[in-house]
Amino acid sequence: MKKYSLTIGWLYPDLMNTYGDRGNIIVLQKRAEWRGIKVEVKQIFVDSSPYSLVTSDLLFMGGAQDTQQEIVNRDLQGPKGRILIEKVEKGTPGLFICGAYQFLGKYYRTADNKKLPGLGVFPLYTENPGERAERLIGNVLVEPKIKDIIQPLIGFENHGGRSYLEDKSMALGTVVRGFGNNGGDRTEGIVYKNSFGTYLHGPILPKNPQLADLLLTRALEQKYGEPFDSAQGTKFHLEPLDDSLEQKAREAIIKRL
Amino acid sequence: MLNSFLILFGKLVLFASRTLNFGSGSTWPGHIAMETNANFVRDVLKKNPELKIVLIAGTNGKTTTSLMLMKILEQSGLKVFRNEAGANLLNGIASSIIKKSNLTGRLNFDIAIFEVDENNLGEAIKQLIVHSSQLSVVLLNLFRDQLDRYGEVNTVAAKWEDALKKLKDNTLVFTNGDDPKLSYIAQKSELEAYYFGIDHKSSVISNKLGYDVDFTYCPQCQTKLKYEKVSYSHLGKFVCPKCGFTNPETETFPSLLHPLIGKYNIYNQNAAALVAQKAFDISEKVIRTALVDFKPAFGRQEVIKYKGRDVLILLSKNPAGFNQSIDAVRTLDKKGNILFALNDRIPDGRDVSWIWDVDFEVIAELRGKVFISGDRVYDMALRLKYGGFDLVYTQIHAELKDAIEAAMEETEKGETLFVLPTYSAMLEVRKILTGKKIL
Repeated sequence: MKKYSLTIGWLYPDLMNTYGDRGNIIVLQKRAEWRGIKVEVKQIFVDSSPYSLVTSDLLFMGGAQDTQQEIVNRDLQGPKGRILIEKVEKGTPGLFICGAYQFLGKYYRTADNKKLPGLGVFPLYTENPGERAERLIGNVLVEPKIKDIIQPLIGFENHGGRSYLEDKSMALGTVVRGFGNNGGDRTEGIVYKNSFGTYLHGPILPKNPQLADLLLTRALEQKYGEPFDSAQGTKFHLEPLDDSLEQKAREAIIKRL
Repeated sequence: MLNSFLILFGKLVLFASRTLNFGSGSTWPGHIAMETNANFVRDVLKKNPELKIVLIAGTNGKTTTSLMLMKILEQSGLKVFRNEAGANLLNGIASSIIKKSNLTGRLNFDIAIFEVDENNLGEAIKQLIVHSSQLSVVLLNLFRDQLDRYGEVNTVAAKWEDALKKLKDNTLVFTNGDDPKLSYIAQKSELEAYYFGIDHKSSVISNKLGYDVDFTYCPQCQTKLKYEKVSYSHLGKFVCPKCGFTNPETETFPSLLHPLIGKYNIYNQNAAALVAQKAFDISEKVIRTALVDFKPAFGRQEVIKYKGRDVLILLSKNPAGFNQSIDAVRTLDKKGNILFALNDRIPDGRDVSWIWDVDFEVIAELRGKVFISGDRVYDMALRLKYGGFDLVYTQIHAELKDAIEAAMEETEKGETLFVLPTYSAMLEVRKILTGKKIL
């Protein structure tokens, strides 16, 4: 059997990890290793070389607070930002949560009406309606709109910014319970090439193993040259795992929603 | 007149709730008093200009620190009262005043110790600002905790910074000199500030930061801090490579014994000792004597005997606190089993994401059996599964009572059951073990 390996690039673990998003890295690593895929998690910091980003097969970045985001924003104005854009455009799979999701959009208008430019990869923009507006907080249930994910996505959201997609058909899914992108148009997240942006913490991957496996599959396809074909669906076959505990955790929360 | 009526009425409510066994922790009288007169606390304290006040805020350790300080002060013959553990909103403070004052609002005490919820420090200070006697404010620590309820730690830190600006200039500020953000806030405040720390030579300390940290960048110039020592979370000996910002000089009280386990409790103890020393002029010798036989507050390293076994409860409600509890269990290295209880009720926070920032991995190889329970038992199960635990040996019980009984059956005489619960689960565990409703 061919030996597969993946390098997961974890962007700014010391700055963009306020909401337990590290769990996503743990899940990606374990679910790959349980299938005999060798995984290296490369932590990418402000003082890391941009090269570390170049060699990543799968990208991840979590959510954070304003001060931390400012530091990251400054770093992404440099070469890392350019490489990140290029990688997403060329189809490197990625998962971008909350603050990271907002970053990849065109701009973020802060609560005090400052317009901060984003990387402009995702066709969306984010606005914070001000300190007085309620943060969007709570459990979320989303009906996914992508082929490889059959089960609803569940998670917990906690965000002040409201994101608006330029093309609503690009949404990751439709909100069944909770607020989603902006609490208004029932969209949640975005799918752009092989990258996913979403507001779902929880963290998202432990209770949505289908999404974790989809990310791994896409990363393997990209790396080992069996490209994803939208007509036929995903080609790369991952051995199924026993997800009965994941199912129970999902059912427990769905029952209460 | 109105306040006297509120005190009388409150006392009656307290009496009734005790008699009817609703538990003694009722914040109802205070709630009613504050609803009727929003300045109830301020008005009553104004009538007691001699009463000295200590306010204690922080994410973890408020109750333990309050209790330690109270013991030290009482040891030196002072009359002290405090609000009850966990009743740390204004209504809890008001309730303690109702309970301890006479009908005219007179408090026959030397010192009041109030622990305050991190989001209510500003409100509490507003009530105390006209008070003429000495005020000490203790900022113990600040970690992320129940983000859905408290908000992000930067927001809380900004509120604290703001709150300090409103204090009179004779106020004493005590804070953790190993915390970059808090020591920065205190240094900037122009108030008389004192810093506690721990002796980094004596304890086993790494130089690696974990994932439960919140402030690891320079509060002055936002450069990543270099840590020479990490005691836990973002606490340690740090220096900013760019602007040179570093720890202030800290007091570490190396002569004191440590009645409780864990580095977090050394910080709590040194905070209490520093307040006693600087605000009340109490000698280290008295402090040492006062704490020799210190008994922990409920649920905080409290040992309860149940069916002939020791049950050790370590309240674990956020990543930094949970990691410290795990560290304490490892340090004790006692034979026994472990029970994790994860709830997601209002006092716990509805969001359980934070368990993924706790390093369960370090106890995956624990010799004892693992039991898990609580409203979000399957979220905990997943965390352990991905943390390298062999779930074949883990018992999952949705009902806490079943979990405790099953764990007791597996715990031999002379062994210990370690219980690591979130806040509401801790109350539930105590109720099961003691048969009493609240305290």
